[in-house]
Amino acid sequence: MQRRFFPAWIGLAVFFVLSSVLSVATGPGGLRGVEVSPVMDLRLLRLALGIVAGGVLAVVGASLQGLLQNPLADPYTMGIASGAALGAGLTLVLGRTAGALLPVGGFAGAMATMLAVYVLARVRSRVTVTGLILAGVIVSFLCSSLVMLVMILGRRTLGEAVYMMMGHLGTVFTGTSSWLFLAVAVLSLVGCAWLFSMSRSLDIMASGEEAAATLGIDTQRTTKTVFVIASVLVGMVVSFTGVISFVGLVIPHLVRMMFGPEHRRVIPGSFIGGAGILLLSDVLARNVVPGGLPLSIVTALVGVPFFIYLLRSRL
Amino acid sequence: MTLTRSVLTIVLLVAGCGQRPVSESRLRVVSLVPSVTEILYAVGAGRMLVGNTNQCNFPEAARGVYKVGDFMSPDLERIVALRPGLVFLTLPMHRQLLDKLIEMKVAVYVSRPASIEAVFGETDTVSQLVGRKAAGESLVADMRRRLDSIPVFADTLRVYAEISGTPLMTAGGGTFVNELLARAGGQNVFGSSLQEYPVVDPEAVLAADPDVILLLHPDMSNADIAGRIGWGDISAVKRGRIYDHLDEDLFFRPGPRIVDGIVLLAQLLHSAR
Amino acid sequence: MNAVELSGVTFGYGERMLFERFCLEVPTGEFLGVIGPNGAGKSTLLRLMAGLLSPAAGSVRVLDRDLAASSRRELARTLGVVLQENPFAFDYTVMDVVMMGRNPYLGRFQSPRRIDRVAVDAALEFVDAQSLRDRQINSISAGERQRVVLARALAQQPGILMLDEATSHLDISHQQLIARTLLELNRQGKTVVFLSHDLNLAALCCSRVLLLDHGRAVACDVPERVITAERILAVYGVEPIVSRHPANGRPQVLLPVATSVGREAADS
Repeated sequence: MQRRFFPAWIGLAVFFVLSSVLSVATGPGGLRGVEVSPVMDLRLLRLALGIVAGGVLAVVGASLQGLLQNPLADPYTMGIASGAALGAGLTLVLGRTAGALLPVGGFAGAMATMLAVYVLARVRSRVTVTGLILAGVIVSFLCSSLVMLVMILGRRTLGEAVYMMMGHLGTVFTGTSSWLFLAVAVLSLVGCAWLFSMSRSLDIMASGEEAAATLGIDTQRTTKTVFVIASVLVGMVVSFTGVISFVGLVIPHLVRMMFGPEHRRVIPGSFIGGAGILLLSDVLARNVVPGGLPLSIVTALVGVPFFIYLLRSRL
Repeated sequence: MTLTRSVLTIVLLVAGCGQRPVSESRLRVVSLVPSVTEILYAVGAGRMLVGNTNQCNFPEAARGVYKVGDFMSPDLERIVALRPGLVFLTLPMHRQLLDKLIEMKVAVYVSRPASIEAVFGETDTVSQLVGRKAAGESLVADMRRRLDSIPVFADTLRVYAEISGTPLMTAGGGTFVNELLARAGGQNVFGSSLQEYPVVDPEAVLAADPDVILLLHPDMSNADIAGRIGWGDISAVKRGRIYDHLDEDLFFRPGPRIVDGIVLLAQLLHSAR
Repeated sequence: MNAVELSGVTFGYGERMLFERFCLEVPTGEFLGVIGPNGAGKSTLLRLMAGLLSPAAGSVRVLDRDLAASSRRELARTLGVVLQENPFAFDYTVMDVVMMGRNPYLGRFQSPRRIDRVAVDAALEFVDAQSLRDRQINSISAGERQRVVLARALAQQPGILMLDEATSHLDISHQQLIARTLLELNRQGKTVVFLSHDLNLAALCCSRVLLLDHGRAVACDVPERVITAERILAVYGVEPIVSRHPANGRPQVLLPVATSVGREAADS
């Protein structure tokens, strides 16, 4: 059964490598710019950020779709991204964005939101999937409105708000924040590996919480673990890149179309596919229009045709 | 359409000025534009001000005036309650307010200077509207004199003006900053951008290799800029020519202090080494 | 030993208690039918017995171990449950689904071994679903899906099987199949708890029948003494005609519907 997926894995790997090469080879500095060491530094950092962000968002999207038994779930379903944006917004407005403080603020916002959602969703020390979704939606709406309010009160320009809410890979790194990012990258790989190890549980959870319990899954532990890991991962990524949409929702479905729904293939496939798509979208966002486009616009424009194509080829 | 309205309004007022002298105590003025507030005080008409915005913070006396709200969203009721004889506002920010005030037959003046020359013209007009024509003329003459005393520089330095650090935002062509830099002997590396305040890729800054970096936002200091990965090779960073904690109002407000801004820029670019 | 024992179980949704100090003993090897009108608490009872709900008071013991003290994994090796609704968010194959029944025996990183594949094959065989093994779970009929879910429970190789409306979507040939399957499993020594709206099927297969009404055990006895006209009337509000199955004398319920067509036919 593994053998028939071989071509698909190869295809995915090739796509990833091509996207990476394009990401490093293009940009305002041009191909010539690659010879100049500082530009290469920037490009490599961007590449790393793109791989981590794209991979994490897709893996979290896939895991949440399994846990919440909902094909429409994405990494932001539980409100974490809005919380990170709120944290980042507050940090910006309070003025001290030097160096590493902005991602830290964003992450703090994400963790506060995670706590809020957890507490809201908890009924007599049990956390149900439905509760998480509802609490997540409520908190997400609240945080989104507060972000806009904070930006207005803090008299930040619209450009900054758009930058955060639409996502970007153009984070300017300093010495401190690049060390921070290294920690984030390592933690992200650990988190994704952990989610991968829970593949069977996620498969079974996709058949319903009660059925999963009867099949020997500790649904409470699984739900809480996935929730916390997903929140931490998304919080870390969003605090660096803002809210990049679409990747976490669509890539898992594309990967499922190629490999079937088992999480032990969908999760690693999503990581590679998510990284590839995000890097490709970034290349387009930076180079097609002078001045660049917000990343989420491009991820949506790139993702939809892919999706339609594969959907039709299957029907 | 609105231009016609403003011209008409001005004509009416100026015509009115001709028939009976406007005394200081009779004209009640509301200024919704911080740069106009500065002009009013500079020509000695500060006492006519019965209301201004939270952002009207210069000179000191302007802070004590009754606030009708934020520059971005002033309160119509508060304005009208003051029974103003003249309201200064700007477009497109105060679009809806303008329509309402005209409906209520309140005299308005639209401030929208797009160049240094236009600032001089506006100073003249504003001072005439409040009956301080002479003071206005002398202020403009003074500004011109100071401007002309700035030498024309042989070498133009390449300047990157950073308006925001997250994301990297700068001033494009057609902005005041752009023109001020040109007058101060600098060349805005992003001056060819069609957008007013474009978001730029860090790589583009590296490619442009500016000689001077100006930080027009209070969030960061020059050490933060120098610490950015990959920026160490930029000429401005290598030579330590990053200037932080600059008073943004000098560069963004199309008012009397524009010349101070140009003078400061000229100093930073050419004298401070 | 009792397969399942409820002592003093009190449980309710919201403020009103559905079950109050409820007691029930299901000896090992029994084929217990649970019947009762909608809202009687059948599904709730099943969930209490399976540990999906925790009682507010009292205890539930499975094979003499308190449920609260057992891990879900241990429980899944002794207790197989087939619920009424089985939605699948993604399109797993039938084979994948039944293999999920082997979860209680597999370590986190362990791949299915030969004995797991053997168990899955046997389970599919038992419910006559071998031909479906490579089909997608969301593209088979409701009846086929019910059989697959039963196979999944059987793959757990449990000693106790609990089913909630396992035959509602099935045609009579497959109802027959399930009934025979359950009887065979019971004959092999498995305890079966069978919730059903189908009074006749319950009467036919079960050794004892529990009649529930609003959380009370109205009767818990052999079918002949539970499925009587008086009891059915008292609980369902309908007075049936109770006859005897010609094959084994078990009570069979007939609806007392009188129609004008019928009367004319009788008259003519």
